[in-house]
Amino acid sequence: MLFVVLLPLLFAFLVPFLGRAKKHIHTGIFVLLVPLIIFIYFIQFAGSNFQTVTKTYNWIPSLHINFDFVLDGLSLLFVLLISGIGALVVLYSIFYLDTTERLSHFYVYLLMFMTAMLGVVLSDNVFVLYTFWEFTSVSSFLLIGYWHFKERSRYGALKSLIITIFGGMSMLGGLILMSTITGTTSIQGMIGESSVLLESSYMPLIIILILLGAFTKSAQFPFHIWLPDAMEAPTPVSAYLHSATMVKAGIYLIARFSPVFVTYDSFFITVTVVGILTLCWGSYMAVRQTDLKAILAYSTISQLGMITAMFGFGTEVAIFAAVFHILNHATFKGSLFMVAGIIDVQTGTRDIRKLGGLFTFMPIAATLAVLGTFSMAGVPLPFLNGFYSKELFFDSAVQGMQWDSSLLTTLIPYVVVIGSIFTFVYSMYLFFGVFGGKKDSHALTAEPKEAPIGMLLSPFILVAGVVVIALMPQFFNSALLSHASEAVFGSAFSEPIAFWHGLNTPFIMSLIVVALGTVLVLTRKKWAAVYRALPGKLSFNRVYDWMIRKMDSTSASITNTYMNGSLRLYLSIIIGAMFMLTFVFMYATNGFTISFDNVAPVTALEMTIVMVIIIAAIATLFMNHNVAAILVLGIVGYSVAMLFVLYRAPDLALTQLVIETVTVALFLLCFYHFPKLKKRTESVRTKSMNLFISIGFGTLMAMIGIAAHSTDWFDKISDYFIETSLPEGGGSNIVNVILVDMRGVDTLFEITVLGIAGLAIYSLVKLKKNKEAK
Amino acid sequence: MEIIISILAGVLFAVGIYNMLQKQLLRIAIGTGLVSHAAHLFILTMGELKRGAPPIIKEGITEYTDPLPQALILTSIVISFGVTSVVLVLAYRTITENDTDNMEQLRGNKYE
Amino acid sequence: MSNLAILPIILPLFAGIIVAITNKHTGITRLLTKFFSVVGLAFSIYLAWIVLNGETIVLETGSWMAPYGIVFVADSLAVLIVVTTNIVATACAFYAPHSLPESKEKHYFYAFFFFLISGVSGAFLTGDLFNLFVFFEVLLMASYALIVLGGGREQLRESLKYVLINLLSSVVFVTAVAFLYSVLGTVNMAQIAERIQDVEQQGILTTIGVLLFFVFATKAALFPLYYWMPRSYTVPNPVVSALFGALLTKVGVYSILRVFSLMFVYKIDYTHTLFIWIAALTLIFGIIGALSTNNVKLIIAYNVIPAVGFMMLGIGVLNQEAVSGSVFYLVHDMIIKAALFMIVGVIVYVAGTTDLRKMGGLIHHYPVLGWLLFISALVLAGVPPFSGFIGKLLILQGAVANDVIVVVLIGLLTSLLILYSVMKIFIHGFWGEKDATHVKKSTKGMIGPIAFLIAISIALGIGAEFIYPSVESIATYLLDPEIYIESVLKE
Repeated sequence: MLFVVLLPLLFAFLVPFLGRAKKHIHTGIFVLLVPLIIFIYFIQFAGSNFQTVTKTYNWIPSLHINFDFVLDGLSLLFVLLISGIGALVVLYSIFYLDTTERLSHFYVYLLMFMTAMLGVVLSDNVFVLYTFWEFTSVSSFLLIGYWHFKERSRYGALKSLIITIFGGMSMLGGLILMSTITGTTSIQGMIGESSVLLESSYMPLIIILILLGAFTKSAQFPFHIWLPDAMEAPTPVSAYLHSATMVKAGIYLIARFSPVFVTYDSFFITVTVVGILTLCWGSYMAVRQTDLKAILAYSTISQLGMITAMFGFGTEVAIFAAVFHILNHATFKGSLFMVAGIIDVQTGTRDIRKLGGLFTFMPIAATLAVLGTFSMAGVPLPFLNGFYSKELFFDSAVQGMQWDSSLLTTLIPYVVVIGSIFTFVYSMYLFFGVFGGKKDSHALTAEPKEAPIGMLLSPFILVAGVVVIALMPQFFNSALLSHASEAVFGSAFSEPIAFWHGLNTPFIMSLIVVALGTVLVLTRKKWAAVYRALPGKLSFNRVYDWMIRKMDSTSASITNTYMNGSLRLYLSIIIGAMFMLTFVFMYATNGFTISFDNVAPVTALEMTIVMVIIIAAIATLFMNHNVAAILVLGIVGYSVAMLFVLYRAPDLALTQLVIETVTVALFLLCFYHFPKLKKRTESVRTKSMNLFISIGFGTLMAMIGIAAHSTDWFDKISDYFIETSLPEGGGSNIVNVILVDMRGVDTLFEITVLGIAGLAIYSLVKLKKNKEAK
Repeated sequence: MEIIISILAGVLFAVGIYNMLQKQLLRIAIGTGLVSHAAHLFILTMGELKRGAPPIIKEGITEYTDPLPQALILTSIVISFGVTSVVLVLAYRTITENDTDNMEQLRGNKYE
Repeated sequence: MSNLAILPIILPLFAGIIVAITNKHTGITRLLTKFFSVVGLAFSIYLAWIVLNGETIVLETGSWMAPYGIVFVADSLAVLIVVTTNIVATACAFYAPHSLPESKEKHYFYAFFFFLISGVSGAFLTGDLFNLFVFFEVLLMASYALIVLGGGREQLRESLKYVLINLLSSVVFVTAVAFLYSVLGTVNMAQIAERIQDVEQQGILTTIGVLLFFVFATKAALFPLYYWMPRSYTVPNPVVSALFGALLTKVGVYSILRVFSLMFVYKIDYTHTLFIWIAALTLIFGIIGALSTNNVKLIIAYNVIPAVGFMMLGIGVLNQEAVSGSVFYLVHDMIIKAALFMIVGVIVYVAGTTDLRKMGGLIHHYPVLGWLLFISALVLAGVPPFSGFIGKLLILQGAVANDVIVVVLIGLLTSLLILYSVMKIFIHGFWGEKDATHVKKSTKGMIGPIAFLIAISIALGIGAEFIYPSVESIATYLLDPEIYIESVLKE
């Protein structure tokens, strides 16, 4: 099974070579084989006697990240959709995309997506699932940006990436929490441990994170905004990723995790509310659109909301209706997208205001469209699969939920009817706007013709699916759908699906939808003002744009405030943070101690030198003459050397004397000719800030020094040096022996430092000479 | 005495840092010199002061001053010298290239 | 046998001296550089092979037994990082001749390059705290030389700030070592660890530890000490930026990891809690910086910061998963940062500007470069199956186990923004209309090293199973200071 999942990806590596080798043959013809093979492989599992298949392939076993593929009913439904629709989409693309396009790019992305999507629906391991999940987002990004020379494409691609990866990251957070709490990375394992999980105090957070992942991916309100902009992708992509498969990954996730959260009502209530909101908002927004693909995009959002809501209901019939609708939606929406693509290619526009009266020019496309749109609208006709699932949806809405909330249970039937009315409206608007009425001969430049057979083939097959499913629902039920709903709910749905159940509530609801919908369609012109006014400024697109703009500008203003290039500010912050936090720690751990037990006596000579050093050091602050300041610094250095003498460090004193002399000379050399020291002219504020920081830091160091000196727990290792210096080191000057022998490495690299410094200075000086030469 | 030297080193740190917070490069360079001295004094003090003879083995002497800090300071002095020289030359070059010794004029805001 | 431990330090040192001598003959120098870097890589892999399959190699220099002499400790963590260093170094050695103008090469670039590697390797391998200071100075001095290389005005200006800030932190470092010596009477890291354990990190010790932390944090570019970093990483040549981005900040991270898993681990309620919050702030402010600019070099430079934040989170959490995660992330980040700085170097070279707003459509001319950038954006953001994911996952798992959820959420959000900040370069720089007037520039020799690094990154992620067991055992090892102490002090 791993091979089958990876097949598209592996094939993707071949695609660039194919394109180069066989220029005159459309690359799509080769690519078509891949989804076909996958479809044939998976269709063999379907049937009434289907059993869950499990396959494990090790990847990173030590992290419990493995390809644990579980093919249950739900996965089977999805893999068949992915490969089946995939094949049709590739077939369609052969006619849709010209050989002059960058075909190999297109097919590489598409194949990458196929692998990713198959992986999502087959992985039982949450982190592998996440891996594939992110790859669906990435390939979707690349496909939306396929025509990246268009500004809108780039915009749409980035938007989808940000929103879906945001969801992906949230989901990852949820998955990490869940796997840490349950101690397993397997979804099946989590179902087993769900009681542990449900007791966790992190449950609300987990739910939020997981649902953010699902809602962003499945374009649920208010994250739906990326989907309309994703329509910048070539139409085959819209039909495939952004209607039939990828956008259902979020719904898949909800379904997959339903058994884990089965007794956690807030999960289902949230899903229901968001689903219903999306259903209504999407269908309402669809009516406002003028671009064919935008109508279809909002309609997809609305339909996804409906499926989500059904999973939220959580009842047996609702879940069955949901999986049924997943299949049905893929058929009619896929065909409608393809027809929209055909119209685009044949007429050169997707603007519904310019279209009209195409029925006479494109009768086949029109026939396909009429079946698609009517099925989407849920028109009660026995050969439209959309009606069946819509009917089950109404049924589940009135039957009550898996959970308790009297308010919602009462409201839902009314709300779903309202949402469905708009669904009916946009479906009719879509069909009659394009095919009905009269052709606007001014708007359309070219004379529209029927599309070539090849292009009609894929939508035809899908529409055939619409009819076949409607006519033989029982067959699909037993072979596929009952297993899918069983995987989610735990037991198979037993009621027969039929067109006529008598004049029950759902059927009446359908009739209301059709009746009121027709009224709205016929009076559409009068409502135009309302459609234009709402949502106006409320648009979530504006919120997104505002956030992106704000993010860039706010981060710029924050960063520029402190990153102003001022060394003083840099140092102030570094030293300030250092000393203040260290003080806090010293205080918190009660670190400061002072002891006068073990101290050397104080002599007048030492005190004099100390005073000289302090005075000279402070004097550097007030010197306004270069040479004077440098000489005062020299006084500090020489006095330190004096201290070294007093403190029995003859080698140090010598070195210090030499080095100090050279340093002073160097200082003079570099600064003698330079701008004179000016009086320090800083504001009182700056001055006090500088004082605070420097005195604070000095105090800190002195305090640590005193405390460190006052702590005496251990013998020093230098006793060993004193003992061994002569016998083993062969020298009586212990410091020298340490330097050249015991710590010879220090000395070696100290010389290295000097060497590098020399080379650096040389190259700096040489650089100057070079410049002067020029 | 160790406590007094610790305070002295603390003062040197404070003055050194105060100097480093100034605008003019020479003052900053002087600041770096002062903090180096402070560090060396700290190292010396941490080995305890005047606890015996200079660390040169002589017969009859058993108490020596801790030699390790002295060795460490020697290493550190030499390294500081190297760094200071680089700082000075770099400062020199920066001043000539940019025609100012004022660090506040060397912010370079132009590439945001 | 034990002398092997010093080889990663000595070899580049000699190589540096040799190429300093041959400096005038650029052709020979280039060849020698490539040769030595490959040899260094081979040796470091050999060393790693021995250490990872056997025991820690402890070299007592001059045969002075620990804790009295200086020891080099080639343990599993050190060798892993040394190998990574050498991988980066090799890539840089091959990239440099194509990226640097010859005048800069003539300013002893290759010598400084090797000295830097020597210092960095020394910092990883040494088992002596004062010696660590010395190696810090070696690598800093080499970095000073590299950063001013060929010094333009801006470069000199930023270099000076860089040098001054590092100088101050070095002074504090050496003072802190002295404080520790006063309290514990030793500078040997194993013995320091042992003695801190003996007194349960009482009294002033935690304070000194925090002081040391700030020294390393300044090098590691943690909040709020990273101010020096973004600009000083953008002014020098790309290959220098790559070396800095990959190695310098990581030396700081490594030192924190070492010191705060080996020595100061008895007051973790104080210290490591601080680390976690600093990590959180580092993530936030780092990514804010990356979003704030349209300068492609700055975007990448700022992206160094949140990566350090992730590693710091792992160190702060200090459990098995989190430490494994930090170690994995460290290796990953060294490689991908080097690659990204190199990529951006090429982008700036071909586009002739660092301003993203003036770029566009580069993919038509430089498709390979574009896709390398695309992949590295995914790697950087921690999108699976690439290397960034494994480290991030482990760190976050560790953090969840210790109930620091808020920082986990910050980390996840940061990942998203990291992706956004780098993908911006791809979208605005590479996508877009083909610029017909653009004269295609040769990227010969620069793509190879980048592809090499990216390939390793991908392999690290997909083939995580091959390296993860080592990383896991490193974490176990780090969490038990006894093993280190015993292997050095042999009690």
